[in-house]
This record gives sequence, structure tokens and C-alpha cells, in this order.
Amino acid sequence: MMQDFEINSSRIDKIKKISEKEKNYRTQNLDFFKSVGFPNKRLEDWKFSDFKDIVNKNFDELSIQDLSYNTPKMNLLKDFDHNYIFLVNGSLHSSNFNFEEKKKIKINIYDKDINQQISKNPLVCLNHALSENGYFLEVERNYKFKKVLIIYNYFTKDIKNKILNNKNRIKINENSELHVIEYTVNESKFNFISNVHEDIELEKNSKLKSLYIQHDKSNGFFHKYIKNKLFYNSDYSNLIFSSGLKFNKLDIECDLIEDKCNCNIMSALFLKKGEHQEIKTRINHLAPNCTSFQKIKKVLNSDSKGIFQGKIYVKNVAQKTNAYQLSKALLINDDAEFNSKPELEIYADDVKCTHGSTSGNIDEDALYYLMARGLNREESVKLLVKGFLNDIIEFIKNPSIKIFVENKLEDQINGR
Amino acid sequence: MLEIKNLEASINDKKILKGLNLSINPGEVHAIMGPNGSGKSTLANVLSGKNGYEISGELKFQGEDLKELPVEKRAQKGIFLAFQYPLEIPGVNTNNFLKTSLNSVLKSKGENELDTLSFLKLVKEKCLELGIDEKILSRQLNVGFSGGEKKKNEILQMKILDPNLCILDETDSGLDIDALKIVAKGVNSSRNKKKSFLVITHYQRLLDYIKPDFVHVLSNGKIVKTGCGELAQELEKTGYEKLN
Repeated sequence: MMQDFEINSSRIDKIKKISEKEKNYRTQNLDFFKSVGFPNKRLEDWKFSDFKDIVNKNFDELSIQDLSYNTPKMNLLKDFDHNYIFLVNGSLHSSNFNFEEKKKIKINIYDKDINQQISKNPLVCLNHALSENGYFLEVERNYKFKKVLIIYNYFTKDIKNKILNNKNRIKINENSELHVIEYTVNESKFNFISNVHEDIELEKNSKLKSLYIQHDKSNGFFHKYIKNKLFYNSDYSNLIFSSGLKFNKLDIECDLIEDKCNCNIMSALFLKKGEHQEIKTRINHLAPNCTSFQKIKKVLNSDSKGIFQGKIYVKNVAQKTNAYQLSKALLINDDAEFNSKPELEIYADDVKCTHGSTSGNIDEDALYYLMARGLNREESVKLLVKGFLNDIIEFIKNPSIKIFVENKLEDQINGR
Repeated sequence: MLEIKNLEASINDKKILKGLNLSINPGEVHAIMGPNGSGKSTLANVLSGKNGYEISGELKFQGEDLKELPVEKRAQKGIFLAFQYPLEIPGVNTNNFLKTSLNSVLKSKGENELDTLSFLKLVKEKCLELGIDEKILSRQLNVGFSGGEKKKNEILQMKILDPNLCILDETDSGLDIDALKIVAKGVNSSRNKKKSFLVITHYQRLLDYIKPDFVHVLSNGKIVKTGCGELAQELEKTGYEKLN
């Protein structure tokens, strides 16, 4: 059981080069966090992930991570050509855009945005209060990335009982395109919390494809809040393959601000013993003729817990909205748990909104069919699991990235 | 090849097979006909090892007691059941499934597994031989297949796995005449001295294409009549009613 997690306000004084206004903003956020503490199940958004309880059970002590670190050796993926950004404990270490026109890309340490409202999410407030690091990536107008960008997200082996707060921002300007893979590599064998806030802006006719995947299993506890703002005819897609984490909560909010935007959120997860994953989405259809598509698939083993909370909000002006949402869980074990909370809030009358959620066990008839062809039970289950998750992988259009993800998922299913 | 003596099988306390006797020698083709609910599909399920049945009596395959053997072991030892309703398995590529299946069988026999290239060569050969469109190989297993395509896929699997005992459970139902010919071709071209067939059907039509050595009539869980090919034609005229 952890002693009370105390943060002294003097922590903010240590942050360099901040104005009085920023200091006030940070202090307000910190005060809010201190009044509420880590979110617990009494908060509606956290009813299935009692973070306070999880922290208490897994941490004897917890403190804020300092910015200093020893740079780990980075192993670049050899599966396909790529640009990269190298983050160490969430801080921007270096970047390489050798495949691109460098003048079209700006990469910096995140410039703080202190005009955001105080969030109801205590972890977001904690982030606003204390984050000092992260990246700001901007793609200039009329530029399409030639190769994918991998964000290597390294956690060093000395991180133990720490909480890291980082803030990132991606801005894609008019008619530009970017494909990002966030690849987390964790060298720490200890428990720690990574708390990230990410702002994404997609200007007119721009496109962002992002994909999350881990290098290997991790004892990290991850929370990430992503705020997307989509302008005219922009296109955002997010593919989530973040299996192997002890705890992960991805909270994705998407504002479709102008006409003809499209937002896709898809996920294929394979959870094992002791793993807990929540995907929470809120898609705000604020303008007409926008589309959103969400498909979340989870395979739950052992005592793992999977959660999907998805809300589609359609404003009265957002006519001709087409929104789709489906979450499916395959429970391999009776101890596994799946919670799903789909919500629709619609104020326009000419819209098409579909949502569904299913959970079930392995189909015994399908197993019998496969086994009648000589496959043993274990092989048959693996084949059915892969089949279940496969339609999410089919969304990956680049063949070498697809093979890379398939292999990672296969390793997870085979327990490697 | 197959020895069944006084076989009884029940499911959920309901007795379906009530003392069935059947003996199949290598190289023979046996047809089992019978009205709905007589126990034809139960016999097929019990032979392939489907869970959920309570079984008594003698059930031997190549001299070995089958009763305790799990489904996949029976398949590996050479019992093949072409399903009446082949299952749709979303997300599983037909080609991958066929390869995994064949390699499981080869491995169990202590033989070398086939690599992708040799497998593709084999599967293409078999498709060509049967007149099956290769396109089904790249599709998800049985997903969106027509009735005919599903049954043709069963025969393709039978050809590739090369079993000793092939059980065809109403493989002819729902087939048009062209598909029926492909199924019959698959069986006839596989017939040899070592391989046996048990063809379960409602109608005599399939037996115009696959000539059986013996025809049995199954009624109320028992074989009530056995004859040669002509018995099927007789049944077509008189129906099953008269047998009871």
C-alpha cells in the first residue's frame, strides 16, 4: 500500500523560464489534482479503471521523474525505411528526417499551451501542472511524407516508482500528410507511470495516420489523453495494437470541426494475465457531412480486463453525419472481464449512427471443424484468435508495416 | 478399416444410435441412406469424435479403439469428415488453414512438413484436377462461399489431406449438377484399394455418380437393410416408409 502521494507546490517553482501566468495556470491545475487525487471508480470516466486503487496496489512509493537520464542505445527497426524521432522518458532526444525535405518539417520541444481549460480528468490536470517535456512536430503546407515516421518512445532502465508527465503536439498544415508509428521500448523492469497529453491539429485536406505498438511486454502504467481537432476534409486514423502493458488507458477525443472530416479509430488487442486496457473515445460531430468509424477488438486471456467506453456526440448542425462504432471481445478464460459502454448523443435529425458491442467465448463448433482437420485445440484456438483480430490488421495498407504488425501480434499470441 | 459393433450414442440423454453394426473394408465405398432424424449425421459426428455424445459398443479404426481418441488424433490417423454444413471462419485465410492442417497431419505421421512453395504446388495441382477456382484459396475460410463452393472446398481438403476413411455427410445436399460432378470426381479419382468411403445421403442422385459397393438403410438408429447399388434405386421409387 502506498503512502499518500504528495507533490509540493515548490515543484512548479523549479520549472525553468515560466511566466507568472503560466505559473498560475500550473498551480491551478496542481491544486485541482491535489483536491481530487488519482481518479477512482467514483468518477464516471474511470468507473471501470479505478486508477487510485491500481496505484495503491502496485506502488509502495511514487515520485515525480526528473528530466535527467542516461541515453539508452537506440536500436532502429530494420523492417522498413523510416524517419524517426527519439524520445527518452518522454523527452525529445533527437530526430532524423533523412527521407524528407527538411525545410517542410519543424520539430521542437513542445511549446506550452496555457490556454486550455481545467480538465475534469485529474491526470490531465497533473500533466498540465508538471509537464516540462515532449515534442512539437509541425508539417508545413502541401507536403506529403515519403516515408513513415517512427516515434521511438524509450523508457530507461533506472525508472522506478516514478511518474512521468509529458506533452506532445502534432500539427499538419493544409494538404499535407503524415504516417506515424509510435513504438514503445521499455528497458525498465520496475513499475512506473507515464502520463501523456497530446494535441493533434489537422488543417484543411490534411491526413494523419497513426499506429501504436510496443516492442515487448512492460511493467509500465500508461495513460494518454489525445485531443484531435479536424478541419475541412481532413482525415485522421488511429490503429491501436498496444498489447503487453500492465495498464493502459487511451482517452481519445476527436472534434470534427468543419465539413467532410473523417476519423477512424481501430484496435486489435491481445491481453494476457494481469493486463488491463481501456480505450475511451469521444467523437464530437460538430459540422455536417463528417464520418467516423470505430472498431475495437480485444482478446482477453486469463484474468485480464478490457474496457471500451465510446461516445458519439452529434451536434444539431451536424446533418448527414455517418458514425459507426463496434466493439467486440473474445474471452478465452472465464476469469477475463470485458466492460463496454457505448453511448450516442444525437441532436441532428438527418444522421446515420450505428453502434454495437458483443462479447463471447470461442465458438466450439468452429473449434470442432478445425480439429477435425488435424489441428490440436491450442493450434485451433490460436488460429481463431488470429482470425478474430485479422480484420483490423487488414486496414494497414503498407505491406511491410502490415507484416511487421502481424509478426508482433503473432509473437504476442504465441507467448513470445 | 472400420468395425462398428452394437454402437449406441446418446446426446442430452436422448438415444440416437441404437445398436448399429457396420464393417467397412479397405477399398470399399459404402452409402448410408435414411430418412431425416434416423441418425445419419450423428454417426458421422461420432466417427469423427465430436464432443457431447455418450457412446457404448465397439468402434475400431484400423484395429484401434476410437472411443477415447480426440477429434484431432482421429483426423491425423486418417479419418476425414466432409461436413454437411462447413463452418465459416472469419479472418482465417483458406490457404493458410489448408497448409496448417496438412502439416499437422504430416507431423503426426513423423513426415516432413511442406514448405510454402511445395504446398502451393500441391494445392494448385488439386484445384486443377478438381476444376476448382484457385481464387477460393486466398479468401477467408468458407466466408461468403456459396453452398457449392463450401462443399467443393471440403472435397479439396479431402484431396489434400489424403485420408484413409472419407466420410461424406450429405455432401450432395444443396448442390447443382456441376458441383455434384466435381464432388463425385473428387471421390472417384481418389478411389483405390487402400481408401474407403462412407457416403451419407438422402437421395439416390449422388449414387448415380459415385457407385457404391454397398448401400445401407439407416432407420431409427439402426441399419435395417443392406444391399448393393440397386437398393438405392429401389428406395428412390418406394421411399423409406415401406421399410418401417
